[in-house]
Amino acid sequence: MARITLENISKRYGDTAVIDSLSLTIEHGEFFTLLGPSGCGKTTLLRTIAGFIVPDGGRLLLDDEDITRLPAHKRGTGMVFQDYALFPDKSVFDNVAYGLRVRKLAAREIQARVGQMLERMGLEGLATRQPAELSGGQRQRVALARALVIEPRVLLMDEPLSNLDAKLRIQMRDVIRQLQRELRITAVFVTHDQEEALSMSDRIALLRQGRIDQLDTPAALYTRPATAYAADFIGAANLIRVLARPGALGQARLELPGAVIAAPQAIERGGDALLAVRPETIEIDAASDAADATGAVPAQVVLRRYVGYKVSYALALVDGTTVHADIPAAADREWEEGARVVLHLGASCRLVSTEP
Amino acid sequence: MNPASAPAFAPASTSPGWRRALQSPWPLLALISLLILAAFVLWPLLTLFRQSAVDPQSGELGWHGFRTFIEDARYTTAFANSLLLGVVTTIGSLLLGAPLAYVVARYDFRGKSLVALLPLATIVLPDFLVAQAWLMLLGNNGVLRLALEDLGIDLPSFYGWFGMIFTLVFNLYAYAYLGMFAALKAIDGAIEEAAVNLGASSLRRALTVTFPVLLPALLVNAMIVFTLAVDNFSIPMILGGKVEVLSSLIYITFLSEMGGNPVMQSVLAVVSVLLVALVLLVQKSVVERKTYQMHQGRPPPAARARGWAARSLTAAALLLMALSMLPAAVMVVGAFTKARGPVLRYGQWTLENMERALGTAPAPIVNSLLLATAATLAGTLFATIASYLIVKKRSALVSLLDYVAMLPLAVSGTVLGIALIHSYNTGPVVLTGTWIIMAAALFVRKVPFSIRSASASLYNIPDSMEEAAINLGASPLESFRTVVLPVMKPAIWAAAILMWVTSLAEISATIVLYYGGMETMPIEMFNQIDAGYLARASAYGVVLMAAIIVPLFIATRVFRLELFSSN
Repeated sequence: MARITLENISKRYGDTAVIDSLSLTIEHGEFFTLLGPSGCGKTTLLRTIAGFIVPDGGRLLLDDEDITRLPAHKRGTGMVFQDYALFPDKSVFDNVAYGLRVRKLAAREIQARVGQMLERMGLEGLATRQPAELSGGQRQRVALARALVIEPRVLLMDEPLSNLDAKLRIQMRDVIRQLQRELRITAVFVTHDQEEALSMSDRIALLRQGRIDQLDTPAALYTRPATAYAADFIGAANLIRVLARPGALGQARLELPGAVIAAPQAIERGGDALLAVRPETIEIDAASDAADATGAVPAQVVLRRYVGYKVSYALALVDGTTVHADIPAAADREWEEGARVVLHLGASCRLVSTEP
Repeated sequence: MNPASAPAFAPASTSPGWRRALQSPWPLLALISLLILAAFVLWPLLTLFRQSAVDPQSGELGWHGFRTFIEDARYTTAFANSLLLGVVTTIGSLLLGAPLAYVVARYDFRGKSLVALLPLATIVLPDFLVAQAWLMLLGNNGVLRLALEDLGIDLPSFYGWFGMIFTLVFNLYAYAYLGMFAALKAIDGAIEEAAVNLGASSLRRALTVTFPVLLPALLVNAMIVFTLAVDNFSIPMILGGKVEVLSSLIYITFLSEMGGNPVMQSVLAVVSVLLVALVLLVQKSVVERKTYQMHQGRPPPAARARGWAARSLTAAALLLMALSMLPAAVMVVGAFTKARGPVLRYGQWTLENMERALGTAPAPIVNSLLLATAATLAGTLFATIASYLIVKKRSALVSLLDYVAMLPLAVSGTVLGIALIHSYNTGPVVLTGTWIIMAAALFVRKVPFSIRSASASLYNIPDSMEEAAINLGASPLESFRTVVLPVMKPAIWAAAILMWVTSLAEISATIVLYYGGMETMPIEMFNQIDAGYLARASAYGVVLMAAIIVPLFIATRVFRLELFSSN
């Protein structure tokens, strides 16, 4: 259990700042995810915590100890690599025992601890196997076991699930999360998969070009994205250009193509803005049904896609803007392509900033 | 994040400098490796260049050596002969090797697996051994020549162009074969299917699609064979007769300038280095500009040959293999044949040649084994460290190390020998006239191959494996020892065996560097051939072949090592 503090960490390669003066704190026992597309700096950040990268600026603290320049092999952080990095010439047992042998533990204790860990990870019986004989899922668990058996202060995971097939990936999410809770270990998890991040994390840091775009709990990140980037990266989002008319909550208005609706939040300054609307929060009504015009946005159905548990519609607003709506199968009214309808955007839409 | 709770500064690392260096000794090792190579490669080459253009008395830069080279017909003729020999040999090797590669890559026929022995045969039979064997067959008293004369076929003299080209082609076509085979295997079969789908006949497809794609590889292999032919020492020396080429002339000039001003030998050596360097430069630009990378896709599958075609392919394969293995058989027969001076009495068997080689005059055998062992031990250790530095710890220093380590490949053995002998003749370090300089020459010449072999295995070890070990608490040195080395082990063994085997067969550098009593088996064989004692030479040849075959056999059969996996 340890708390990790990053203070103004910077790292450049050539002219590019891969990490740009980044600060954050990861609390004791937290499951913290670094989320973002490739190139955003999340893996670089993880490797800085592990000690494989020395930052150009800033400090890294483990509990209250400055470990910015501490060599990697002295940090006591356990890491699980994306390709598992199992030692191909050593058996499962020897792989898991490696860290304990480096620490010169007694053979009997090593035997006991490795045995316990293998059992906990469901690997009993595989102790003498070579990595080449294992399935992807088994290798993953050996990598986890190897990192955890040394009882690290922090568990670091670099996209450990991305090489597994879909079903196994979802299973392993639960395994890892449960393990982390049981052991009450601080965990830093790197992924580009937003669903993974949402389902596993206590808090998520959404990264963009070396900076934190938004740091929040999964729920807050999903329902209250602060930027267009966040809205678009987490879940799906329609981003509609609107004109904001200032006012307090209940009075502020938004001008959309073909309609004026009540703004979901108070607006201080008017002007051009982006409205983020999640597809699953849109309701579709017949054009003539809406008695109260306020809040109903006219649109035309362009495409209807049946996906089993939901129906996905692509609709065009009066100015041609495309909007996607997901209707649960039970509530679907089978709108035909070309039909004229109105959309109710609901109160969960949000204005987001559009800064680049 | 509370700045107020910022702690008192903890020192980043408390270990003293030397202990830190021990934990990560790589920069220091890189420096040491570079210094070793500088001493045995760079410095000698510099000495060579200096000797070719600087007057030893006045210390002034003078080009009279090079002027003599251009004006003296003997030198220019030798140079022209070298070029001619190179070109003709290259064409011959490609004509033999490329079709063989095509046929083996694209067709299944009986006897095909025999062809896989070709690279092995080339390594087991050093070129001077092959020269001697063909001399015994087609030389003035050659068995085959006499037999053909009985049939009314009079062959031209084996000494001179005939012998040189014939033997060189038989020696070098294996390289052309290997190179073209690899290129054929790298072709994406889909492009040929696309051509056929678009309506091309088989011939048209071969000419307009397959051939152009193979052309860069063809050019690259042609240049490799060319440089090997031009740098070859034994074959022109043994079979050249009245025809002088650059490589033989360098050695002859070395002998004649012994004790005097080594100007002309240095000039000739510099010319030969420049020639090869030029060819390699051209080759590099061809490779970088035109080689087609086909990462995806598989090569076209081999088609089963039938009837006529199958039989002729099998016959051709058998014939080529037989001819390539023939020298070994000839050597064995010669070793056990009674001889009176240069005349071998075939049919009369004796053990006296072998007794002489093993009992009375075993010094060459002992010398060869000792020198090869010393070079292999030093070379394998060096290659392990150097390959790790080159693949995993790249830096400006290491890039320089990589370049200098590969330099000996561009320099012929004779040139290197001459460079070394003059560098360590006088001054603070005198190595000339000791076994050390001979072992150093072997080390420097063969270490590039060991480095390549060891590097190949390192490319298969992802960085994450070492990082995992470090993350688990192992220091960088400990991680190298406990994680990287075990995985490198097979490649290191392969590198060691290749180094041993090729060191045993080396002649062009050691023949310049040896002194009375330090003859190696190849040098002894060369001297015996020169004096006409072919049977005695054959006896050493048999021992040499055994010393090469046994470790190779143990490595490939017992330990199942992959000796030719790297390029």
